[in-house]
Amino acid sequence: MKALAWIGGLAWFGVDWARSSLSCRPPAGKTLEEAYRIGVQSLPVLLTISFFVGTNLALQGYNAFVPLGGQRLVGMFVAMAGVRELAPLIAAAMVAAKAGTEMASQIAVMRTREQIDALEVMAVNPYWFLVTPRLYGIILVMPALTLIAVFVTLVSSFLVSVFQLGLNPATFLEFARGSTRMRDIFTGEVKALVFALIICFVSCYCGFVSEKGPEGVGKATNQAVVVSCILCVTFNYLVSQVLYG
Amino acid sequence: MDEAPVSLVNVHKRFGALTVLDGVSFDIPKGQTTAIIGPSGTGKSVLLKHIVGLIRPDEGEVRVFGTNMANAPEKAVYAVRKRLGMLFQDGALFDSLSTGENIEFPLRQHHPELSAAERRDRVDEALEMVELPGLYDRPTPALSGGQRKRVGLARAIITRPELILFDEPNSGLDPMTSDAIDALIGHLKETLHVTFVVITHDIVGTINVADHIAMLYQGKLVAWGTRDEVTHADHPIVRRFLGRNLVLPSPDDPRPAALPRID
Repeated sequence: MKALAWIGGLAWFGVDWARSSLSCRPPAGKTLEEAYRIGVQSLPVLLTISFFVGTNLALQGYNAFVPLGGQRLVGMFVAMAGVRELAPLIAAAMVAAKAGTEMASQIAVMRTREQIDALEVMAVNPYWFLVTPRLYGIILVMPALTLIAVFVTLVSSFLVSVFQLGLNPATFLEFARGSTRMRDIFTGEVKALVFALIICFVSCYCGFVSEKGPEGVGKATNQAVVVSCILCVTFNYLVSQVLYG
Repeated sequence: MDEAPVSLVNVHKRFGALTVLDGVSFDIPKGQTTAIIGPSGTGKSVLLKHIVGLIRPDEGEVRVFGTNMANAPEKAVYAVRKRLGMLFQDGALFDSLSTGENIEFPLRQHHPELSAAERRDRVDEALEMVELPGLYDRPTPALSGGQRKRVGLARAIITRPELILFDEPNSGLDPMTSDAIDALIGHLKETLHVTFVVITHDIVGTINVADHIAMLYQGKLVAWGTRDEVTHADHPIVRRFLGRNLVLPSPDDPRPAALPRID
């Protein structure tokens, strides 16, 4: 019941944002600042995690297919799992962990210090001022981060497959390319946009409704990353079920 | 007589089972300073939030510049807010902005016609008024409690509002800084000639700058009138709250002298 009320509140928050902000010009400077911050902040951790997910995919694929005599399938396995599922999810999880938590904690601290009330009293709509630049910023960078995650996952799995496991590079690439269609890349980009919406709205909402004080800020931050990840994974499953199920 | 900028009519507010405001009615006179006093947790800050439209009453009217904030559409509420300024308890400054940028913030939002140089002049003027000249570039986290209040006050007056509200301007300050803030309010009152509403439980200092006093107790208005009427009222709660330490200023010295600044 509590969860339903929370989701209802989140939906209403989205409607409120759309009503108050869609017709207004976004604060351009702040939007670019947010895009830069979200992109740059998330990049190091995204590169690291994507790299090691790629290496592990190659290792596990190799272990699974070698006993069956299907070494050549490693490239296909990595491409299907990495491009279609894991890379977009990794990008979402990393952005939720880095940028989402920052959004939630910043807004929660502003709530605690009456800065959101101050914005209202200064006749500045806090949804427009706080949510819009973060939303447009994350929408700008999320597809790029997803593409980077895809690329790094494929490269690292290629390196491990060829230089550590001794697979033929041409075979790896041929099978990887053969199992990846433009539609998979496009689907990953659409997923990235939806993940961006989920992460931004959930994180900002957690900040706006946080309880006052340090405990409230901690709870909001924690809730932002947990709920964002759960919703992203659920959405990812639903898309995969529709497209590949 | 001028129309009251703020008029409260039978305002009721409950949070769950707790009645916070219970039929509060009074008018805040134009161009004068009204202190709203009362013990902690008696509904003063909630009343202030009704005036700026952050909270809507369950019943009654909160008219600000003729707009009933109880049921006005968002656009009308924002239009009212552009005519007022407010000092929050700890200043509510944005830590990511410098002192000057904080003060400049409302100008940037609502006065795009002003050039950067004009905005800078207005900020410098406001900093002078709150006795913090030359602090434009100082990061806000480096400000002391008293300085944060002054910067918050500079931000509240930068758009030259008709109504300025103070939420506990003395809270969390040492006695000397608190006196300095009271003196500053008195000085601004003489300089700006606008309507001031001061929420406080620091009686001695703030009462000295007030023309009118409203006293809330358990959500009810127990006293309302000029400073003399309320400070001489026989109401037992008023007498008990004001206590025996209240020293009224002499007619020759209507406001406390500013304490010397210690840099």
